[in-house]
Amino acid sequence: MERSFAQEVQLLKLGDGEVFHGEGILAVTKALLQAGVSYVGGYQGAPVSHMMDVLNDARDIMDELGIHVETNASEAGAAAMLGASINYPLRGAVTWKSTVGTNVASDALSNLASAGVKGGALIVIGEDYGEGASIIQERSHAFAMKSQIWLLDPRPNLPTIVNMVEQGFELSEASNSPVMLELRIRACHVHGSFPTKANRAPPISRRHLIENPDFDYSRICLPPATYAQEKQKIEVRWPAAVDFIRKRKLNENFPGDADDVGIIVQGGMYNVTLRALQQLGLADAFGQTRIPIYVLNVTYPLIPDEVSAFCAGKRAVLIVEEGQPNYIEEAAHAILRRADVQTRLHGKDVLPMAGEYTGEVVLTGVAKFIAAAAPKGVDTDAVAAAFSQLTGSKARAAELLGAPMPTRPPGFCIGCPERPVFTAMKLVERDVGKLHISCDIGCHTFSTLPPFNMGNTVLGYGLGLASNAAVNPMFARRTLTVMGDGGFWHNGLTSGVANAVFNKDDGILVIMKNGYTSATGIQAIPSSVNQSDHRSPDMSIERALDGIGVKWVKSIYTYKIGTMVTALKEALTTSYKGLKVIIADAECQLARQRRIRPQIARDLAAGKRVVRTRYGIDDDVCTGDHSCIRLSGCPSLTIKPNPDPLRTDPVATVNEGCVGCGLCGEVAHAAVLCPSFYRADIVQNPTLWDRLIDRVRRSVIGWFQGAPAPSTSTWTR
Amino acid sequence: MDALTETQSARGQDTLPTRPVTVLVAALGGEGGGVMADWLVAAANAQGFPVQSTSIPGVAQRTGATTYYLEIFPASRDRLNGRSPVLALTPNPGNIDVMVASELIEAGRAMQNGYVSPDRTVLIASTHRVYAIGEKSAMGDGRFDWNRLVEAAHQLAKQPVLFDMAALAQEAGTVINAVLFGAMVGAGALPLSRQACVEAIERTGKGTAASLRGFEAGYNRARGTDKLTAPVDGKLNRGRPVERVRAQFPAETHRIVEEGVARLIDYQDIAYADTYLDRLGPVLAADRDGGGGPGGHRLTNETARHLALWMSYEDLVRVADLKSRASRFVRVRTETGAKPDQPVAVTEFLKPGVEEFCSILPPALAHPILAWARQSGRSFHVGLHVRTSTVTGFLLMRGLARLRALRRRSSRFLDEQALIERWLGAIRRAATQDLPLALEVAECARLIKGYGDTHKRGTENFNAIFAALVDDHAGLATGARAAAIRACRLAALADPEGQALAKSLAQI
Repeated sequence: MERSFAQEVQLLKLGDGEVFHGEGILAVTKALLQAGVSYVGGYQGAPVSHMMDVLNDARDIMDELGIHVETNASEAGAAAMLGASINYPLRGAVTWKSTVGTNVASDALSNLASAGVKGGALIVIGEDYGEGASIIQERSHAFAMKSQIWLLDPRPNLPTIVNMVEQGFELSEASNSPVMLELRIRACHVHGSFPTKANRAPPISRRHLIENPDFDYSRICLPPATYAQEKQKIEVRWPAAVDFIRKRKLNENFPGDADDVGIIVQGGMYNVTLRALQQLGLADAFGQTRIPIYVLNVTYPLIPDEVSAFCAGKRAVLIVEEGQPNYIEEAAHAILRRADVQTRLHGKDVLPMAGEYTGEVVLTGVAKFIAAAAPKGVDTDAVAAAFSQLTGSKARAAELLGAPMPTRPPGFCIGCPERPVFTAMKLVERDVGKLHISCDIGCHTFSTLPPFNMGNTVLGYGLGLASNAAVNPMFARRTLTVMGDGGFWHNGLTSGVANAVFNKDDGILVIMKNGYTSATGIQAIPSSVNQSDHRSPDMSIERALDGIGVKWVKSIYTYKIGTMVTALKEALTTSYKGLKVIIADAECQLARQRRIRPQIARDLAAGKRVVRTRYGIDDDVCTGDHSCIRLSGCPSLTIKPNPDPLRTDPVATVNEGCVGCGLCGEVAHAAVLCPSFYRADIVQNPTLWDRLIDRVRRSVIGWFQGAPAPSTSTWTR
Repeated sequence: MDALTETQSARGQDTLPTRPVTVLVAALGGEGGGVMADWLVAAANAQGFPVQSTSIPGVAQRTGATTYYLEIFPASRDRLNGRSPVLALTPNPGNIDVMVASELIEAGRAMQNGYVSPDRTVLIASTHRVYAIGEKSAMGDGRFDWNRLVEAAHQLAKQPVLFDMAALAQEAGTVINAVLFGAMVGAGALPLSRQACVEAIERTGKGTAASLRGFEAGYNRARGTDKLTAPVDGKLNRGRPVERVRAQFPAETHRIVEEGVARLIDYQDIAYADTYLDRLGPVLAADRDGGGGPGGHRLTNETARHLALWMSYEDLVRVADLKSRASRFVRVRTETGAKPDQPVAVTEFLKPGVEEFCSILPPALAHPILAWARQSGRSFHVGLHVRTSTVTGFLLMRGLARLRALRRRSSRFLDEQALIERWLGAIRRAATQDLPLALEVAECARLIKGYGDTHKRGTENFNAIFAALVDDHAGLATGARAAAIRACRLAALADPEGQALAKSLAQI
């Protein structure tokens, strides 16, 4: 794991009346323990990776409470695990990144929602939307609607989030339906506090076992039970949910004096909306607002009488609903029509249909709404003036800066073992022409960004090879697929490799075997070398490929560019018909550095001989063309002002972040770039022999260097 | 759960602040932004202030930009009668009190996004640069204008606090986060006491001493009134006064011309430097005749600069010479941070091809070999890993450097001189028509640089532009011709595949 949560785990032990200070996603974890869950699981992915990390770091607490922790192999596995709550009164929770994780999980989710649950089933979804998101931009809302899973979207402060976790389990049990708790990226990472309660040991657990299995035909997803289940959803579970939400007042009303208008917000959008009102002089720092606000901490289902009661008597109401389609706005229109309430609804007319609702977006939307609705007693001119004052400096900045700032797309880390593979591909393309490359999900997807700009499609996690199935037969030259080892185990083995072998595909698959799901924070996968006691240490990609019948497999150490180029060319040209797999084998450099740094420090302290390797560039040899950067993109390979008084283009330089992976030197060699690169091996704690040899070399070389140069120049450097 | 009852109960306390203090931090991965946010939260908590922080790491943790956003309500909880301020998770334009940028482009981005407002923002920004990939991978100079960023910061911020915090962090042996934190406190931007901030660092427990040194350095620097100076250019000037230059060339060209003389003596010999001045004389005359004197003899200066570089073209001999110098051995030790008693083994990555070998042979030998190599359609390269730090490796390089004596008779030398003469002739001819046109012709020399394919590509582009626009006026007036040459030159530097240049040439 990228981060250790040993300290944070202590927060999970807090008891009654203590105060938790920490991150949102950890607060949710604590809330699960307070709610007495019997089992937890999930699949890593920003922004909920930390929850999986913490669960794994907190094994002793979990064992003490008898909670089962599962590191699910995919979101589908996690969703299916909730099946334990169908027959038994077990509270369980799983987590994943959404909407991609929900997509993967949706088969199990549909069945789960149809069967219905006895024990509370909670899905904590990290809604990866907007700034910082790494996936396609969609809403999880649609999944809730199609399967009748209730969707919680709490106000983004820890007391409310924690309360909604506990209420969520009760709602799930009261309505026999699974519940989703949606947290946006910033809410997952929000740092705040809440008063804690003691953890509750679940009544059924690994410590208190079930004796007799429950059989109930109505819980099985097969006709005719499925027809009855659908009816039950509508006739029993939905009304029960609406009742519960209304009675527990899960949605909140904040009145204001300008009550001829109002605002309906998703819970997660409350703070940003209130800040906009405050900036426009319509609310104070404590949430006292002049415009009444109705907060939907539950965004599905809506409570029709609450919506119509809020709107009744108001001329205009703004709905702040992030993302599209605007399900809530459309539903509110229908509710008001049915109740014959004539309030004018605003929403996507003053706010954008697509994209994150950032501070600026909401501020602009609210200002437009105020201008259009003109609430009684509000000085709309003052509001407009405040708005233009707030946003004025942006235009001024654009003028002063003259050009947009250069962007910083994410890229491969310093010394990343995946970078050389794409460098090799670029070199192969020089010789054979452009290749079609089907990409997958993982760090390697960064190949599609500068400086590589390689890869034609991304179709989903572990689906790279499957997405290539109809591409390869359409090309005279073979095509490539890149997949990570995380994707391989998630879905790639079956949907990709088995499918390709079964259909006698002739493509090429490159598997990036770096040992972890690195992009999500370096979590372990089945083929990770260093496994904890809770997982099987004996699973290998090579044996899986062999077992499934892949005959052409080459494993190549990624930093050997020349070898990789040869292997790729061979795969492209061999007469062998069938799937060709190249395993690009080298450990994630972040993980490796974390592993070896303490060891090196110990060795150095103990006086052991340690060789440190660094790369460098002779700035008087470099002419500032930067081909090396275009073929590598290593963050430690950068530029600096040219020290040559006659040159203006900056020279390339290797900064102190270099971990000595050697790619830049290999590239200079393989691509015949320039002779500027050098490798320096610095011997720390040198032995007597090292020192002796060094002394001899330095004095002989020094003697020659001291000798006059052939041109008798006095101006040498 | 109704917030109204909470807020109404405590109305009438006018002394409370009306809004939180907002802090937006724009950092890059690995700069300890998260730790700094934790320090701020801890210091605010210690003073009993409600505080909230959040962040957008996402995929940005992999080398991209990351932001942290904090709100601190500067009144202790016991004054709030149980009420809680509503703290936002996203920064709003016009609503930032303290904008922190760990690097100058990130400060620019903050301004671009409206997070720096003249009526309230204290802008704490480090003036060093971490170049973005687009700036780094440009074929020439893709860097964003440093001065423009600094100027904008001074115009837009209520209180700009700008200095090189990376350098300060390095001096203190710590990460930039500590210096930024110190600068925030030193600038008086936070409602937090220095004591509380120091204690927050002390409680971290890890690397505390170094962090405190960095904090102190940032704190003191931000309190001082040092005027910001542009970074030193770090140029290694070698030029010395040369009599002939002083006698024949105007003062404003001395720096460049004398630098060129020094370079060419270092590269070949004094006679070669004389050739340089012989070649430059007619250009100066044309510059003068064209009225370039009052403008500082730009044509002479630029031609002098490019001519010196071109005449000292990089060949195997030159590279071996540069790599075997004593000063280079010292530089490697400094750059790699090797301690005096630590042996350093240096390995060079050389891969000379048949062209490089032929370039030091006389034309009579070189031409047939090259013709044969071209005919065979293969590329011949010898991959060498030369260990210059060993006696044999060093002597190999030194031996190659000694081939300098043969350079004047080599095929490459003769080819380059011919191309140089062609270029100089074109400059002189253009100068008789129009100085700006001559300047554009002179600037074309910058396309020719580098080794192997890079050099070949540059020369081809140079020839293509010459054929289309210099040898032939292409039916254009001088002004339009200068503009077209300029456009083509920039296009040649736009992409290595030459697509932009082909497009520009086609448009003529």
